[in-house]
Amino acid sequence: MATTSDSPTVQEPLPIFKLAQRYLVYDADTVTYLRREHNICGVLIGGLPQAPQQNVFSGLPLELLPEEARLLVEKRVAYVVDDVAKHRRAFLEDGMSAEERRAYQAALRKQGLAAAGEKNRKSEQRKKATLEKLGTENWNDLPEDMLKPRSDRRKRQGGSSEGSTIQPNDTPDDETLFDSPGAAALCKASTPHNARSAEPQPFFVTPTTSYPPLQSAAPPSESTHVDAPDAPQSYPIFRYLHDQGYFLAPGLRFGCQYMAYPGDPLRFHSHFLVNGMDWDQEFDLLDLVTGGRLGTGVKKGFLLGGQEEGGEGRDKGAAKSGDETSRGVRSFCIEWGGM
Amino acid sequence: MADAEEDAMPRGGASGEEPDLTDETQDFRFLTTISREDASIPKRGEKDFEPHATALQSNTLAASRHAMHAALAFQRTHQPRGHTLATYHPETNMAYAYNPKGPLFVRMGTVLPAIEDPFGDDERRGQRVWLLPEEVLFLMNRGTVDVRWPGQEGLAMSLQGAYAMFLGDEGERGGGLTFERYAVYSNLKRSGYVVHRAPTWEGEGKVPGDECYAAIPSMTPPTWHVGLFNYYTSWWELFKADDKVKEEESSQGPLVASKPYRSYAEIYRRLAIIPTYDPTARFGPDDSQLATDPAFRITYHVWKPSNTAYKKSAPGPPDFRIAVVNARESAVPTSAQLSALMETAPYKPPPEQSQLYQKLKHGYKSVILAIVDQGVVSYLRLADAAFGREKLYERRGQPGGRRGGRGGRGGRGRGR
Repeated sequence: MATTSDSPTVQEPLPIFKLAQRYLVYDADTVTYLRREHNICGVLIGGLPQAPQQNVFSGLPLELLPEEARLLVEKRVAYVVDDVAKHRRAFLEDGMSAEERRAYQAALRKQGLAAAGEKNRKSEQRKKATLEKLGTENWNDLPEDMLKPRSDRRKRQGGSSEGSTIQPNDTPDDETLFDSPGAAALCKASTPHNARSAEPQPFFVTPTTSYPPLQSAAPPSESTHVDAPDAPQSYPIFRYLHDQGYFLAPGLRFGCQYMAYPGDPLRFHSHFLVNGMDWDQEFDLLDLVTGGRLGTGVKKGFLLGGQEEGGEGRDKGAAKSGDETSRGVRSFCIEWGGM
Repeated sequence: MADAEEDAMPRGGASGEEPDLTDETQDFRFLTTISREDASIPKRGEKDFEPHATALQSNTLAASRHAMHAALAFQRTHQPRGHTLATYHPETNMAYAYNPKGPLFVRMGTVLPAIEDPFGDDERRGQRVWLLPEEVLFLMNRGTVDVRWPGQEGLAMSLQGAYAMFLGDEGERGGGLTFERYAVYSNLKRSGYVVHRAPTWEGEGKVPGDECYAAIPSMTPPTWHVGLFNYYTSWWELFKADDKVKEEESSQGPLVASKPYRSYAEIYRRLAIIPTYDPTARFGPDDSQLATDPAFRITYHVWKPSNTAYKKSAPGPPDFRIAVVNARESAVPTSAQLSALMETAPYKPPPEQSQLYQKLKHGYKSVILAIVDQGVVSYLRLADAAFGREKLYERRGQPGGRRGGRGGRGGRGRGR
């Protein structure tokens, strides 16, 4: 699989949606793009509709740490949008014109039609495959009522493709599983079998994002960093490690502030357990021992770091990047030496 | 399919040894194996140590990312038949649906009584099922309901719109649903549990009732009395020992007076002069009853999927009580916060016959903390262990004591 063939690209600066002091991204393309181009992973906090009863894989939306949101805003890759106000204005206070509403509905209808068509095609294919496997020729010997649903299939194979006749078994939605066979038959009987209508009934679509119909505009580029999201005091070390090319993820369950990965966490194990500190912050020596032992126990380095006050950027990497926030950040790695 | 999946899903950490797959980012290429019927979950250790710029590695990474993108770009569609329509109600930040079908609604949503229903007692009230913000959001996330904005045209609400309203707007109007709470709710629901808001969802709730304390012993000794003192050989010995200790309780004399003793236990009993906490001796809230801290309150009542006694109208006592904690805004709870939280949990002594370590682990009361760090949930079980009641010198049969047990803390309980 080629690296570039189907990697989506997104126009920068891209919007980050803020609600209840959180920063979210809803667009799958943006998520992939941020991961690929900016080493930003965030945390997927939603569920996957195609596998709804599991916690191993998560889905959209993606929640960005305040650190990540701030970093993206500082790098002018992204800007923050107040999502609640936008939605309220558009959908609850008649902020959308009738035309926009019509366009929105038309777009959804089109997507629904496409989904229905796609579904039809797939089930047709599956039926065809099954029929080929069974061998259709001997069916005439079977009793009439046993044949009923099958013969229906054959009829449709010969030209029609109708959305409403999909068998309950073909649908992954669990609601339909619980329709009794009787209800399904009833429903089929009541829908007119129009063999000539090539147009399937459109599915209803729940879009993932609201943009469009909503519009978001990037603030003028000369605006300063005033609106950069607040980040915790460990931000300098976060920014510093990110500048060094690490992928960072929240690390509470591993006993630290961040986990630092040498590459995409999809493929790599993490190398460091990271804790950020103030330069003059006093801490217990025991924390050092605990952290060192914890890190060594899981074959990772325990990394402490902070920003030197009035630091001159002693560290080469930070000096090269020439950025204020990661200048003067120094990091220390503690390992438990088995003497 | 949902039910089959619920059963097939491993409840992580059952043995404590198997790796927890939710701990780390998994390769999305394995998602297809999960969504199929024969759900097999990828093993760990498929990752590399570091990038080494080979084509193989970068191709694998590209494939993983592609699989992830494909999984994320999934579109939520609803077939015209059997499709559940719900309408957003901005005044209450809830949504309502008429006669929603499907197995999920057996455990979610409520038909409100006439005085509480925002639309009053019209003829469709009995069919109108109200869904709480977390319920709508969860159902929408899994692609079960189609939520519409209020109004003539019934514009479809996007997932983004749902988050903006049910979490963002909720936060702005000071509602109870936070990101942390929703993260725990959806995490538990995806594992198949039945989750409802606890009475302490907003505010302190009632003063802990009788069920939170040990039963007051009545004069006619009920059966549990025997169990309580089964470490003593007989009533007679108990009496004798107690009498003697009392007799000698003087501030002057030595703790262990010089006289013949028949067992070490008698001597140890005399040495135990430091008062210890005894959860069985508390029969009601004392005067210095602590107020629960809003950051540490029981948020959800949780029932196991296998709990057959559960009914939506009369759920019965929950299997677990979970307090949601925001890792970024609150520190480790203080003793006062913890005791106040523990106070609200029901009194549930360990079975008397069980092993010492199991008793300590089980505790007399327990509560589960769900600690959320930016959408990543960790569950911790806290138990009110009574070390003072488990006297090692009174144990019989195993003079050396058994090794290898674990401490009183539940560790990663994983909702267990």
